Parts: sequence; C-alpha cells; structure tokens
Amino acid sequence: MSLPPNSANPLSRRNLLRLAGYSAGGMLLTGASLTLLENLAGRATEPLNQKLEELLFQSQTPVPEFPVSAIEPEKLIVNTYGFTPEIDLTSFRLTVDGEVGNPLALDLVTVQRMPRKSMVIRHVCVEGWAAIVQWAGVPLRDLIQLAQPKPGVRYAYFFSADGYYESWDLASCLHPQTVLAYEKNGAPLPIENGAPLRLASPIKLGYKLSKWVTRVTLVSQLRSRRGYWEDQSYEWFAGL
Amino acid sequence: MSSATPSQSPSRLRSLQSLPAKIFHWVNVVSLTIMLMSGLQIYNANPVFGGREGWHFPPFLLLGGWLAGGRHWHFAAMGIFSLNLLWYGLYILATRRWRHRFVGSNDLRALQIGKNPKRKIYAWHRIVYTAIIPILLLAIFTGIGMYKPAQFPWIVDCFGDWFALRVVHFATVPMVFLFAIVHSLLALKAGGERLVNSMFWDEML
Repeated sequence: MSLPPNSANPLSRRNLLRLAGYSAGGMLLTGASLTLLENLAGRATEPLNQKLEELLFQSQTPVPEFPVSAIEPEKLIVNTYGFTPEIDLTSFRLTVDGEVGNPLALDLVTVQRMPRKSMVIRHVCVEGWAAIVQWAGVPLRDLIQLAQPKPGVRYAYFFSADGYYESWDLASCLHPQTVLAYEKNGAPLPIENGAPLRLASPIKLGYKLSKWVTRVTLVSQLRSRRGYWEDQSYEWFAGL
Repeated sequence: MSSATPSQSPSRLRSLQSLPAKIFHWVNVVSLTIMLMSGLQIYNANPVFGGREGWHFPPFLLLGGWLAGGRHWHFAAMGIFSLNLLWYGLYILATRRWRHRFVGSNDLRALQIGKNPKRKIYAWHRIVYTAIIPILLLAIFTGIGMYKPAQFPWIVDCFGDWFALRVVHFATVPMVFLFAIVHSLLALKAGGERLVNSMFWDEML
C-alpha cells in the first residue's frame, strides 16, 4: 500500500488535503519507491541529528519569553490525530507512576494548588507554523520531584485520554518551562486545546506536547513504542 | 565557474577546473537538490503563503513522500551542504583563489567601458557567482533559526517574527533556482561545453 504512513486515519482534514494535492502517479512514486530511501535517510542521520540537538539543548536555561501583547490568539491551529475525549472532571486523577518512590494520583484542585508557572512562549508546529501563546500550569519538574523518581529514570511517558502517547527525555521534562498547563491566553484551557491538562513547553515541537494528559510514567528504558507520530517515523527528540 | 581565461588555449589537455572545485560542485549540486526538493515537501505541509489551503507543489518536485520523510532528507542533507560550503570557503581563502573567483572592480570597469564582449560575460558571471554566496549563507542562517528557535531566538528576532523568517528562508528557493539557470547559461556562453564539462567530469581520469 502506498499511502503515507498516517493513513490509519484517512478522513482527517490533513489527509484529505494531502490526498487532494496528490495525483495517483505521484502517490505511487513518492509513497512506495521512496519510502525505503526515506527511512534509510532518517535512520542514517537521525542519531546524529539527535546528538546535535542534545548538544545544543540547555536543560536549565529558560527560553526568552514574550510580553502578553505579543500573543497571537488566532494563530494556534488545533491539530488532533483522533477525537476530542470527554473527561469527567470530578473523577479525573493525574497519575504519576512508574519507577518512582511515591506514586501520585492527584485531583485537579490539588494540581491547581501547586506552584503555578505562567509563560508567554512560541509554540512551534512540525508543519512549519508557529503561534505565540500564554500557558499557565504546574511545572512538570515539581510533579516529578514529588513522585521521587528512582536513580535510573531517564525518560517519561505521557498517556492521554484519547489514546495518544508520547515519550520525552528526562532533561527536557525537568526544563523550567515544561509545564502541565490548565490555562491558555489568560482563560481556562479549552477542551480542544487539551483540558484539563496538557503539556506546554517552548523547547519541543508541537506533536510532543500531548493534550488531555492523564498519566505520566517515569521509566529508565524506552519501550518499542515511543510516541504516536514517532512510531510513524517522525523524529523522537524533536527539540527546538 | 569562471576560471577560464582568454589566454588558455582550447586545445590544452589539462582540465580547466581543479579536482577540489569539481568535488565541491558535485556535492553542492546533489545536496542542494535534496535540500530544495525535501524543502518543498516540508513547505507543502503548511504553505508559507495561504497556510494549509495555500498552493501546493506537485509531487514530482518533492522528496520524502510526506512531512516526516521530507524532514529526514532535509536534515540528512543540511550538514553535508553546510560543511561543503565551509571547506570550499576555507580552500578558496587558503589558496587565495578568492582574488579571481569573485567580482572585483576590474569586472565593473569591464562592464562599463570594456570593448571585449567575452570579458563582459566573465564579469557578469563573477557577479552572479559572488551573489549566490550570501544567498546560500542566508538559507543556512534562516534554516538554523527555524530548526532551533528556542536555542537561537535572536535569529528569529533578526527577521522580526516567525512568519518573516519563513518567508526569507523560502525566498532563497527561487533565488537559488534562478542562480542555477543564469550560472549555467553564462558558463556555457563563457567557456562553451568544454568549460561546463570541466566543472563536472572532463578529463578527471
């Protein structure tokens, strides 16, 4: 089959647009004969690319923020791979588990009572667009510290109510501007942007910033499935 | 490129271009083609002009199959492309070739008051050849800005905002394309097929 790898969801808006732009011959040529080479190019150079990204990344240096006047409310496009989940806020619990000494199951009120970080940052999508957005939420590193990760922990998995999953390197999780946000542009986070809790950070591409996060699992080893888009050959580190 | 001088007899057997120049040229042609085609693939994910609903490039110009593949190719070629430009720049400096590779006041004089039409072609060629260097450097500079905006936010600031940065990065595509055409035509005019051949493979064996 020569469809692009995200054909699992053939009726998404993005796919319809992509399909509209492709001729049948082009589909065959670009989809089939080049997929092999494309994966080769990716596999050959991504480790190098990741090393370079990790080298450039300063895990404790904040990225410069913007004034509130710079916010671009209309520029943040909603990208969803599947559906918008319905979450019962009264029974909602944020789970932090895995290789930790103190697993957490926090309700929303508790999360919102924790130290709050507000920031105006640039959100950059892998598609090429960007938007300046204000996010506020709890710094992820506070939650991780509270859960007391065991010494070997190097990665975090994020599981979402819609089935989306992601994994991050621990250094990026501990960056001061990586938050689980419950506020966008000065208002409660809208459901289509990931309410009640979503990842927000200026240091990763948009597809790393899971919406509707219900569970954070700290691990020492990555599993074979690393993330929804990564498993379809997007790069894993995706640092900015 | 423009090292064919009128004093060189066309019957000389030695190649017009040195081996480093040939290697540079080949690596440049291949890596730049990959950069352009995979870049258009990335462009199609969200066209600079018009967003998702904007005009898309047809598949025969693209490389990578979809956005992830286009990015793989783009990132695979960017290091090769940049390092190639870097070592050739150092080579030109070290061998002092820059003195007759790039445009000089003598070229401008030849264009203004010169009588020799062939000399004028050389002058034009050197102007074009010189102009592409800042364009390629601009492509790399704006590319770094989009690749690592969190680590180099000042690059984005140099261009005002993210959209302006994207526009400038994309604008290098038609500039490079135009350069390739004019550069080839002038080379053909200046040194004929012999010069063009010498740039790629003539008498390499």
